[in-house]
Amino acid sequence: MNIIVCVKQVPSSNEVRLDPVRKTIIRDSSKAVANPFDVTAVEAAVQIREKHGGTVTALSMGIPATEKLLRDEIARGADKAVLLTDRVFAGADTLATSYTLAKAVNTLGGADLILCGKMATDGDTAQIGPELSAWLDVPCVTDVIEIKETDDRHIVCVRNTDAGTETVKVELPAVITVVKNLTIPRLPSIAGIRKSLDAEVRLVKAAELGADPSRIGLDGSPTQVIRTFPQEKKGEAVKIEADKAAAAVMELWEEL
Amino acid sequence: MYDLIQSADKIGAEYLRDESRSTGHAEYAVFAKNEEDVLNALRFANEKDLNVTVQGGRTGLAGAAVPYGGLILNLSQMDRITGMELQDGKYILYAQPGVVLLKLRKMIASRKLDTGLFDESSLGIYNRFFTDKEQFFPTDPTETSATVGGMAACNASGARSYRYGAMRRHVSSVRMFLMDGRCVNVKRGEAFANGLKASLPCTDGSSVDFTLPSYKMPEVKNASGYYAAPDMDLIDLLIGSDGTLGVIVELGLILDPLPEAVWGSACLFEREKDALSFVDKVRGEKNIASLEYFDKGALEILRQQKANGSAFASLPDVPKRIESIVYAELHCRDEEEALGSLLRIGEIAELAGGNEKDTWVARNQSDLDGLMFFRHAVPESVNMNIDKLRKTQPSLTKMGTDMSVPDDKLFDVMEMYRRDIEKTGVRSAIWGHIGNNHLHVNLLPSSTEEAGRVKEMFKEWAKSVTSMGGAVSAEHGVGKLKASFLEIMYGPEHIEEMRSLKRTFDPEWKLGCGNLFSKGEEEKA
Amino acid sequence: MGIKIDRDKCVLCEACVASCPNGALSSGDEICIDEEKCILCGACVNNCPMEAITLEKEQAAADEGSSGIWVAVQQQDGRPIPAALELIHKARELADIKKCTVTAVCPGKGSGFEKELIEAGADEVIFCISENMADSDDDAYARILIPLIKERNPETVLFSATILGRSAAPRIAAKLGTGLTADCTALSIEPDTGLLAQTRPALGGNLMATILCPGTRPQMATIRPGIFPAPFPDETRTGKAEYLRAGDTTGRGFEIISAEAKKESGGISDAEVLLVAGRGIGSARNLKKVFELAELMGAKVGVSRPLIDMGWAEYPHQVGQTGATVAPKLLISLGVSGAIQHLAGMGGAKTVVAVNTDEAAPITRQADHVIHMDCVEFVDELTRSFKERKEL
Repeated sequence: MNIIVCVKQVPSSNEVRLDPVRKTIIRDSSKAVANPFDVTAVEAAVQIREKHGGTVTALSMGIPATEKLLRDEIARGADKAVLLTDRVFAGADTLATSYTLAKAVNTLGGADLILCGKMATDGDTAQIGPELSAWLDVPCVTDVIEIKETDDRHIVCVRNTDAGTETVKVELPAVITVVKNLTIPRLPSIAGIRKSLDAEVRLVKAAELGADPSRIGLDGSPTQVIRTFPQEKKGEAVKIEADKAAAAVMELWEEL
Repeated sequence: MYDLIQSADKIGAEYLRDESRSTGHAEYAVFAKNEEDVLNALRFANEKDLNVTVQGGRTGLAGAAVPYGGLILNLSQMDRITGMELQDGKYILYAQPGVVLLKLRKMIASRKLDTGLFDESSLGIYNRFFTDKEQFFPTDPTETSATVGGMAACNASGARSYRYGAMRRHVSSVRMFLMDGRCVNVKRGEAFANGLKASLPCTDGSSVDFTLPSYKMPEVKNASGYYAAPDMDLIDLLIGSDGTLGVIVELGLILDPLPEAVWGSACLFEREKDALSFVDKVRGEKNIASLEYFDKGALEILRQQKANGSAFASLPDVPKRIESIVYAELHCRDEEEALGSLLRIGEIAELAGGNEKDTWVARNQSDLDGLMFFRHAVPESVNMNIDKLRKTQPSLTKMGTDMSVPDDKLFDVMEMYRRDIEKTGVRSAIWGHIGNNHLHVNLLPSSTEEAGRVKEMFKEWAKSVTSMGGAVSAEHGVGKLKASFLEIMYGPEHIEEMRSLKRTFDPEWKLGCGNLFSKGEEEKA
Repeated sequence: MGIKIDRDKCVLCEACVASCPNGALSSGDEICIDEEKCILCGACVNNCPMEAITLEKEQAAADEGSSGIWVAVQQQDGRPIPAALELIHKARELADIKKCTVTAVCPGKGSGFEKELIEAGADEVIFCISENMADSDDDAYARILIPLIKERNPETVLFSATILGRSAAPRIAAKLGTGLTADCTALSIEPDTGLLAQTRPALGGNLMATILCPGTRPQMATIRPGIFPAPFPDETRTGKAEYLRAGDTTGRGFEIISAEAKKESGGISDAEVLLVAGRGIGSARNLKKVFELAELMGAKVGVSRPLIDMGWAEYPHQVGQTGATVAPKLLISLGVSGAIQHLAGMGGAKTVVAVNTDEAAPITRQADHVIHMDCVEFVDELTRSFKERKEL
């Protein structure tokens, strides 16, 4: 089975500091990591491969430095890595990103199964998986908490729904998005890291994908952030008098 | 002026014990909020002729914070950062003793400090700190709810002490009240002994004059008894004095820049002897910040906890064939250097009989957190096991050692541990700081009779470890529980030297009674 | 296209350098951008106090022919979910500013509840009836809406950010080639352009971002349930309903084999309301009272470590670093002093009420509401109040 796993580079921390004087935002840019949900997806893919054979390809769109993270996925068990990296990809929102990833899946000759993390820790949008499935015109199962079985033509998995959980069976190819604790990703071994150092990470530019220039990067992104501002923090605690305590707490409870 | 002093039966029973799980007794308790409160408490104790036991987070494992009658002086509410300085390119944080390590770490990492007590100069330093390279405080005891005051009192260390040394090295100043209310405010590099003769200036112009003990401290990781050496910096005496000389009210904590690359690697071995041989060979690798060990007993308890507890479900599986794990943390200038070290570690593991495939590597924070959770799950599992046993046998306490030996004695000491444990027939789990040949041998006796045998065995070990040139307490401090080991280590004459030193600081013998050594002849009479 | 820095406005304050998540900016005689690192995310644009940085892009003009605000209604057992009513009500408010209509569109098996939707603020209700469709069928939900939106050309389509909404909306957005903002917590109309300003938490809630979709239609967003208040039905409102039969949604290579309702885990980690008792509760007998109160409130009970040590409660009830991490909507802390390990375990709680005789206990620093009284008395009083309420 050919499995493609989409991996995104995210900052290691979502911590935002405010400059005490200017009140401008300060972010720590020093460390980037693979989105933890995607690391789980890679592990899930490797487990499927260990049972059924095939290859696991880690696919990412990002700046050239993302290559390092893709190597790390190889150390964790992926067979191949592909990095879509080109100036014209920059500024992509989820629509442009999913379009670009869909083009890449087709350029790589398609896949039997495409795994994505349910969402990325920096954006929290959870949109890439279902958008990708729409571009590829294949079924999609989001919020998957367990992969039950796979054969050449189907995958059976359990997903979260608003009312509980559901077991669904979908025809392959399909896109599956997984929760972070679907499985525990293994840590790479020194042997795995050694192997990843010599592995090839295929770099792909926009031209190679045959992508419509108006659908990629900043120009292909309909949404635009116009303002960012820090979340208001919890203020001082409110004191409630003892004689009004029960009524006040009752009110808080009713507001839920 | 004594408003804060309350009767000890008004506060919780937990203030009568600490993590050593031994219990004491007290008549009064004070939760001091500032220096004034501390002074009042000391005055009250002098008036009423009470013993004083200082408490912080009560996370100690040697019972130093367990009250010995009299007054409990709890400093956990003195938990503010009072200022900042920059000395020789290093940031110094001035902290009250009740600052909790976890909170300290969070403050440093997020750079969010409560600057309410800062003066102009501190604020200036803070602004610089805010945008500077990320810093950290290197002393890392496993229990992150420890307070910095407690950590200084027992000269705490942790896994990273392999590289960074114990707490002592990271304290630039100590402000301490003596029992008579005088204050010493010592900065590193300002007050030295002359040979063994010493005079420590007080803020009121007077001084404490004393002679240092004449023993030669072992050249191993050591938190046993007063730090003493000819011509020493006198601040080093106050650190590690186990609450017997004075009450610490402020510490200068030296921060280090956080290394660019912090990686972890666990090497799994099928035989303990391979793990030891790996340790022996890997010591030459310069970037290692910590070198930790887990034996088959520890791994077995972990497997059980993983099987029956959801809290540990996310731990990685350790294959049954694995007998020992050695964890090494790398602190490097950059990732390239870290990779070089990691690959050399792999080679050494294979040379020692391991396999590069049997390794776990963490190269980012979330993987490191995973390995950290694994390391902490070991003591936590054992504690849970003890708690279970104690429900039916409340007299049992956790029986663990804290001894260190020189590098060339690692194989010998391990052989001794294995031989003697087998003789007692008690279930065991060994883990700890193998880089310093400092292993915590923990026994899980299932009866008071077994506990008695273990106690005897520990006494024998104290003698053997001393003769190997080791220390009876490498990091937990001596407290009350290990006072008898200290006598084995140094002998009665040197204990007497320590007693007379204490008397110059605390002539009425009120502070930290029962810690380090008993009062001696008078007490028996 | 790209980032442009107006050198005349720039004062080299380096706020942009500090804000870049990729370290792409550096400062010297002027601010430099490393193109190898820049992903055109615009973080520096929004952080520049001098407004010296701009992000230029080709902007297609919006389709002038689109109009109206749509709310995609989600159903459960043939009824609209509460979040849908909240959203219709909010849409009404926006439509009144825009002077346009609100359309509630309801794919699924249910119908006949137009009155409720109109009274919440809709002018028009469209039922797309598919009797066999499961409530959770995101695939069918999207397939039904896509042609309808294409045909009727609304200016805006809003979804509840439920599991269904967050799965279906992206498929629709991609098929329509338009933008979608996830999990919004605020909506407004930009005064000068009339565009929908969609505000959402970013970076795990550390930062809020306001997002526009100027060039493509419809503007689409999923909105977090429970953010907007539930509407009071306005019975004077009138509107019309349209009944459509949805096309066949089977044979898509997608099949729901079985469904299981939400299980009560019994654990405290996912409790919505949590009572946490500490040493101040005093006795095992008093702890029983807390369990009784919890029963009345539909809450669960957690305890601090000392209570476990004393054998009053079992380990699974322990809140803290070594116990369970909890994130209830309402946490009532009863006689807990608040050791740091305990506080670490309850950091995710939304509203914290601390009941304690010690006003300076560390728990009060983590609380939203502080009640200075004996926690057992408080438990008694609250129990009385809830019992009275039940009798009413």
